[in-house]
Amino acid sequence: MSDDGRIALCLTLNGALRQVAVAPCDTLLDLIRDTLGLTGTKKGCDMGACGACTVLAGGRRIKACLALAASYDGETITTIEGIGAPDALHPLQDAFIRHDALQCGYCTPGQILSAISLLDEKPKDLAAIREGMSGNLCRCGAYPNIVAAIAEVAGL
Amino acid sequence: MSADPTLRLEAALKVTGQAMYPAEAPMQGMLHAVLVEAPIPCGEVLSLDSAQAALTPGFADLVSYPEAQLLKPSGVTALIHERTVHFVGQPVALVAADSLLAARAAARAVRVEYQERPAVTVLGQALDQVYAPALAGRAPSESRRGDAAGALAEATLVVRHRYETAVNNHHPMEPHAVVCNWVGDLATVHTTTQAVFGTRSIIAHAFQMPAEQARVITRFLGGGFGCKGQLWWPWMLLAMLASRRTGRPVRLELTRAQLFTLAGRRAETVQDLALGFAKDGTLTAIDHQVLAQTSTHAEYADTTAGVSRWLYACPNVTTAHRLIRTNQPHPIPMRAPGSAPGTFAMESAMDEAAERLGVDPVDLRVRNFADHDQDSGRPWSSNGLLECYRIGAERFGWSRRPARGATCDGRWRIGWGMASTFYPQHRQGSRARIRLGGDASLLVQCGTQDMGSGTYTVLGQMAAEALGVPMANVSVELGDTWLPEGPFSAGSQVTVSLVPSVEMATATMKATLAAMAVGDPDSPLAGQDAADLVFADGTIRSRTGNVGESLAALMARRAPEGLEAEGSAAPPEAMTFSSMGYGAIFVEVGVDPDLGEVRVRRIGGAFAAGRILNPLLTRSQYVGGLIGGIGTALHERTVTDAASGRILGDSFADYLIPVHADMPDFDIALVDEHDPHLPGGVKGVGMLGTAGVQAAIANAIHHAVGRRIRHLPIRIEDLIGEDSGRATDS
Repeated sequence: MSDDGRIALCLTLNGALRQVAVAPCDTLLDLIRDTLGLTGTKKGCDMGACGACTVLAGGRRIKACLALAASYDGETITTIEGIGAPDALHPLQDAFIRHDALQCGYCTPGQILSAISLLDEKPKDLAAIREGMSGNLCRCGAYPNIVAAIAEVAGL
Repeated sequence: MSADPTLRLEAALKVTGQAMYPAEAPMQGMLHAVLVEAPIPCGEVLSLDSAQAALTPGFADLVSYPEAQLLKPSGVTALIHERTVHFVGQPVALVAADSLLAARAAARAVRVEYQERPAVTVLGQALDQVYAPALAGRAPSESRRGDAAGALAEATLVVRHRYETAVNNHHPMEPHAVVCNWVGDLATVHTTTQAVFGTRSIIAHAFQMPAEQARVITRFLGGGFGCKGQLWWPWMLLAMLASRRTGRPVRLELTRAQLFTLAGRRAETVQDLALGFAKDGTLTAIDHQVLAQTSTHAEYADTTAGVSRWLYACPNVTTAHRLIRTNQPHPIPMRAPGSAPGTFAMESAMDEAAERLGVDPVDLRVRNFADHDQDSGRPWSSNGLLECYRIGAERFGWSRRPARGATCDGRWRIGWGMASTFYPQHRQGSRARIRLGGDASLLVQCGTQDMGSGTYTVLGQMAAEALGVPMANVSVELGDTWLPEGPFSAGSQVTVSLVPSVEMATATMKATLAAMAVGDPDSPLAGQDAADLVFADGTIRSRTGNVGESLAALMARRAPEGLEAEGSAAPPEAMTFSSMGYGAIFVEVGVDPDLGEVRVRRIGGAFAAGRILNPLLTRSQYVGGLIGGIGTALHERTVTDAASGRILGDSFADYLIPVHADMPDFDIALVDEHDPHLPGGVKGVGMLGTAGVQAAIANAIHHAVGRRIRHLPIRIEDLIGEDSGRATDS
C-alpha cells in the first residue's frame, strides 16, 4: 500500500498486463469503467442485482460491482471489449445481432459475457439457458431473442 | 416501401461495448457529483451547513438554494428554488468532488436542519381531498355522452367493480446521467434524455442564454419508457451549475434507488367501473371513475378512462378522472400510460360480462366493435381490431378453449384469457437532413434520439429505400442538437413524425439527381424523362428506355462534393380522423393452487398498426411491451411506508421485474392494415404490447382457478388459501 492509502495491483485485462493503484474500497467495476475507461461494462444498479456489469474473472462470470478491485491482483479479467470488435465479432455477438437480441443495448455486454460463461456450463435445453441467464435483467424485453441467440451458438 | 427485415443498424456497436452512453463521455479533470436528499416527506429546509463538507478531501463545490437563484425560475426549477420538501428523497443540494467516493463523503458531511410538517404519505390518508385535474394526459379529464346512470338502471346485466393498480417505476437499465462541460459561454451536455431539443430549451431558459450555445448530446440511450424527461431536468441543471461555478466538467449519475424517487412513476389507480349490457351482449352503459395520485408540487393524470371513451361502441358513457395530492414522488407517463391500467379494468369487466352472459369473450368484443370514434364523432383513419381478434384467436387456437378449470398439467391448472389493447396515435413536427456523398454513400441526420426502439434503423431504411441505396452504404446520426430538430421520443410517435420529413428530403434529392442525370450529355440517361426514372439497387434507371446509370458514377462525375437535402413537416392540424393502433392478446397461464404460483406459459398477440416498416424490430417492440405488461400484472409494486413516507425495498432485489426464467413462448402476428390517411400509412407500435396483457393474464387466472383478481400486481398471496374478500369483492 502506498502513502496515500492506495493499493498497487497488476492484472491481465483483455490479454494485456495492466498496473494500477486503487483505493481499498474501489470496486472492480469502477476500476474498469472509470479508471481504465473501458465503458462497455455497464453500471445498472451497483449492488449485484441487474448483471449489467458482468465480466469474466479467470473465465468465470462475476458481477464487477460486487468485486473489490484490490482482491483481483494477478487475476485475468475479460470485458466485452476483449470479446470481439465490430469487424471481428464473436459468434455470440453475431448471433445477438441476427436474432435482434437487444434494444437499448445497455444490458447487452453483461448478457453476452454471462452467456459466454454459461455456454461453458453446457446448458442442456432452453429452460436451462433461461434459468442460467436470470441474473441478467433486461427492461426493454429482449429476453426471448437473447435466449434464441444463445441457443443457436450452443447448438440447441 | 416494402417491409424489410433489416437488422438493427447500430447493433454491432452495442454488442461490442462501443456504443457510448451519456455517462461515458470522456472528460479531462472531471468532478463527480452526488445529491443530498431530504429524509422527511414534508416540510422546509431551515438551514444548510456545508462547512464540514467543504473540509472533506477532494471537495470542489456545493450548490443548493442560494446558488440555484442564478437560474431563471420556471416550472422545472421550482424544486431547486424553493426550500419546501415535497417527498422523501427530494434533493436539497448537490456536492461535487474529485472522485465519487469523495463526493459521497462530503455529501454525508452536509448538515441540514428541517422544519417538518404533517405529510400525506399514502392515497388513503386524503380521500376527503379529491379534486378534478384540468386534463387527463392530452384529453379532458371528464367526458359524457348519453345518460350512463339511466342506462345502467335499465340494463339487463350490470358488472360493477373496483379495480386497483399499483405504483410502478420505469427502471430503464441505464440510470439517468449527465456529463457537462462549459467552455466560455458554450455548454456541452451529454445527458440521458428522450428529448435533446426539449432539454436544450430548458437549459437555455434556465441559464438565460441563446439555445445555440448549449449542445445536448444523447447518441445512445439505455432505455427510457417515459422517465427520461422533465423530472430529471432540475438535477441536471444543478450539475451544470456546479460545472459552471468550478470551470470543470461534472458528472452526475442517479443511483438505482433514486430511480424510485427522482425519475417518475406510473401512479396507482383506484377505478370504479360499471358496464351495462342488453340481453344480447350489447354494451348500453359505461361509467368509469378513476382516482389516482399526484404529487404536492405538480399535477399529472394519465388518460386511464380513455379506454371507456374509445374502445367500444356504447351510447351512454360517463368518465371522470380525480386526483389526490400526496407527499410522494411525482407521476409521469410510463409505457402505455393510461391504457395499461385502464384496459386492466375494462377488459377484466368484459371477461366477467362474457361469462355471465354466456358469450365467448372474443364474440362479446366483436359485437361491441366501434365503427367510428364515438367520443369525438370522427371516423377512424383505419381500424384493424376485428382482424386482430380473428387472426389472434385462430393462431392461438381459441376455438378449442376448454371449459373453466377443466385442464391440468401436473400440478398446474391451465387457463386461457384474452383482452384487447389500443393506443392513440400522435405526431409532432420534425426536420431531417440527408446527404448523398460523392461515393453514393447516404447519411441521414436528425436530432431525435433512439431509446432502443429502432429509430436509427427505420430512419436509415426510409431514406435508403426512397433513393435506392443499399443499407450497407447508409449511416445515420441522431441524438445531437447540432442536427436538424427532430421529435421527442414518447408516445410511440418518433417514426410517424419523421415519415413526412424524410419523404420530403428524399423527394427533393431525387428531383435534383434526376435533373442532373437527364441534363448531362455524359450520362446514359441524357434526354430521358426525369419523371420516368426509378431509383433502386444503387442505380437510376429509366422505366421505359432500357438505360441506367449507377448513383456512384453520376455523383463522382457531377457532384463529387456530395449533395444535401432537408425535409420538414409541421405538426398535424385539426384532425379529421381519429387514429389508434390495436391488438388482441391471448394468454395461457398455469396456476399452482397449493402454492399460489402463476406462470405465463404462452402469449399470442395480433397487432394492427398501419404499415410495418421493419417486421423484425416491430416484433421486438411488441414482445418487449408484453414483457413489461407481465411485470405490471404479476411482479411490480412500489410500496411507500405510510409512517415515514419512504419507499420500501427501493432496489431490484425487492422491486421485481420479469427475468429470463419468467418468459413464456410468444407468437406475434403483424396484421396488415392499410391506412390511407396517415403519412406513409404508418402508426406507432411501441405502446401496444404493454396494455391489455394485464387483463388477459387476470382473465386466464380466473379461467384456471375461478378467482377474479381485480388488483395488480396479482401475487401468490392472492391465490393461496381461502378466496379472500378482496379478490372477489363486488
